[in-house]
Amino acid sequence: MRPSTLTRLAVAGSRTDLLRTVLTALSALLATVAMLCAATVLSVHGWADRYTNPLLVEPGLRPGVAGTLILVSLPVLALAGQCIRLGAPARDRRLAAIRLAGATPQESVLIATAETAVASLLGSVTGLVAFIVARRQLDRPNFYGQRVLPTDVLPPVPVIVVLVLLVPVLSAWIGAFLLRQVIITPLGVVRRVRTRGPRPWPGLLIAAGVVLFAVPGQLAEQRSFSKNTIYAFLGAGAVLTMAGVVLGTAWISYAVGVLLRRYGRGPVTLLAGQRLITDPWNGSRTMAGLLTAVIAGAIALAYRELLATEFRSYDIYNAMMGWSEGGVGAPDEPEFYYGAVRLVMVAVALVSVVAAAGVLVALAESIVARRRTYAALTATGVPRRTLSAAVLLQTLTPLIPALLLALAAGDALVRLIETEIPIGNEFRECVERGLGGCEAPRHPEMATVLHVPIPWANLALLGGGALLAVLVAVGAGLLVLRASTDLEELRAG
Amino acid sequence: MSALLSGTNVVRNYGATPALRGVDLAVDEGEIVAVTGPSGCGKSTLLHCLAGILRPDAGTVTYRDQNIGLWSEAARSRLRRTDFGVLFQFGQLVPELTAVENVALPLLLAGSGRREARSVAAEWLDRLGVAELAEQRPGAMSGGQQQRCATARALVTQPRVLFADEPTGALDVLTGEQVLGEIVRVARELGTAVVLVTHAASVAAYADREIVLRDGVLDPTGLGLGVAR
Repeated sequence: MRPSTLTRLAVAGSRTDLLRTVLTALSALLATVAMLCAATVLSVHGWADRYTNPLLVEPGLRPGVAGTLILVSLPVLALAGQCIRLGAPARDRRLAAIRLAGATPQESVLIATAETAVASLLGSVTGLVAFIVARRQLDRPNFYGQRVLPTDVLPPVPVIVVLVLLVPVLSAWIGAFLLRQVIITPLGVVRRVRTRGPRPWPGLLIAAGVVLFAVPGQLAEQRSFSKNTIYAFLGAGAVLTMAGVVLGTAWISYAVGVLLRRYGRGPVTLLAGQRLITDPWNGSRTMAGLLTAVIAGAIALAYRELLATEFRSYDIYNAMMGWSEGGVGAPDEPEFYYGAVRLVMVAVALVSVVAAAGVLVALAESIVARRRTYAALTATGVPRRTLSAAVLLQTLTPLIPALLLALAAGDALVRLIETEIPIGNEFRECVERGLGGCEAPRHPEMATVLHVPIPWANLALLGGGALLAVLVAVGAGLLVLRASTDLEELRAG
Repeated sequence: MSALLSGTNVVRNYGATPALRGVDLAVDEGEIVAVTGPSGCGKSTLLHCLAGILRPDAGTVTYRDQNIGLWSEAARSRLRRTDFGVLFQFGQLVPELTAVENVALPLLLAGSGRREARSVAAEWLDRLGVAELAEQRPGAMSGGQQQRCATARALVTQPRVLFADEPTGALDVLTGEQVLGEIVRVARELGTAVVLVTHAASVAAYADREIVLRDGVLDPTGLGLGVAR
């Protein structure tokens, strides 16, 4: 097949296809901008006090800023890939007709992924233009020549080219990956269904993640680790835990479905329960971005609580020693670290919104794919509110336990680092070790142990926010259900 | 001389339900064969197996002395854009493409240039009397016009065999007869063999020979609609 034929077939489509193309391009635009920003931050070298933003000044903090930006770009990319299923029935008919005309299975998948790639390329090129324009507009140094953002540096041109091309390639790959269960035949499109239910083995991933995350803290006294080794352990632990929670959601969905079928009464629980049993992986696919964001958010909130406890310990220690000025900890230190945590939480909020958009796309697609069944149920007298309640129930029942697991896992990881901070042992330890110049505290009665509290309120806000985002997405998705239960659907070809 | 296309002891099941239980059929060059029988007897399944859309569970489907049942999915797909044409009751046109683009599709998939493919497609639309619809999309055409476009697309590669599954099933009697008349006329001009699945006596009447299926096997009595020439 010639490239011109491939392009023509890839861009052929209806209004829904146009919407899919726009959404895909928009996702690719956002992902490209986020990745270019990350590359720009990484292009700043050395101590950079030419910036007013402290997160950009210290070389040690910039990888964290870049990592946060990449964290934002990943679910956006996933959304771009997920958009491939939007308007699926019409596209399925088109692909089946093309197969009937003689296209091979590989060519039909190529047409579907080329569509995503073309839209993504459009988005990533627009993203590059937007990045360059915004960079110029925001480049306003103050009187001392300092800038808020690194608008004076650009990543190397090869890096820019690679990033602009990487986004369409990745989104096309994600799209093709999501199509792996879809078989396009000349007679129509069928989906492979796994007959065996998911097993609870992702629990092992969570356990392995927790163990890896705990290694640097628990073995710190026995042996010293380099900074990179510690980061590797913590990173691998966090990633394994996230993967465990995301994959474990399938098992949760399946278990909830079985419980609903066994103990539920009425058609709502029957419909919702059977959907969860039939496709338990749907929760893992659609909620992956959201759950990952919630775990990252829970880690950030728990770490903020650990920092707050540590700063409180500095104050108590300084008071115990009778130091009114100076002492342990700089006065502006807390605000700096809290600012960094706030940045992560902004990223988490952004990711949650994008992930909720992904939930909406997936939900709309699953409703449209079953529109004839829904229309037939409505025609036989099943009230629309019963169908809406079933869709709501099948989304929320696995989500709530999965969210609780994600919050608990994120908080537990940080609690592996420290759960209590003792204050006032320094003088005794100094004397016992025979070190000279040990300064006795003026108020030894203030010696205490501070327990790092669990940030219940903040965790509840995070979980509630994620739940709210999904509720809004489901609410919007139910509008599609209303249109899909129109009896005209029974006559559609 | 061996047949152009033949099925030998073709078996095909859907799960535990047998659709074809050992069917033998041979089609010669330029021959028009009608496959008739009651609903659910396996007519469409037989056509899909012969056209390489479905692979038989047992038995062989031979085209020009080659067992296409052993070919890969991609190879059988390529056969549909060179040697085989397929015509269904509905649903075979790409709704987002114009008539001329739809007809040009098999040529484009085979690697022809856009201009050349469009030119050949336009000739075929003219041949089937719908040249004025070249830039229309299927949604803007009547059922008969769509079926003429689909016929043009099925014949644009000048296939050796045309498989038609209830090609006039969605049309009124008069339009159906007109469309079928054109299919048969063009097939005879090209020397294309036609395998025509139908349960309508008026459609089977266009065939040279009629075979009857019942419950997935050939009816030994051969008493079908009984109207083939």
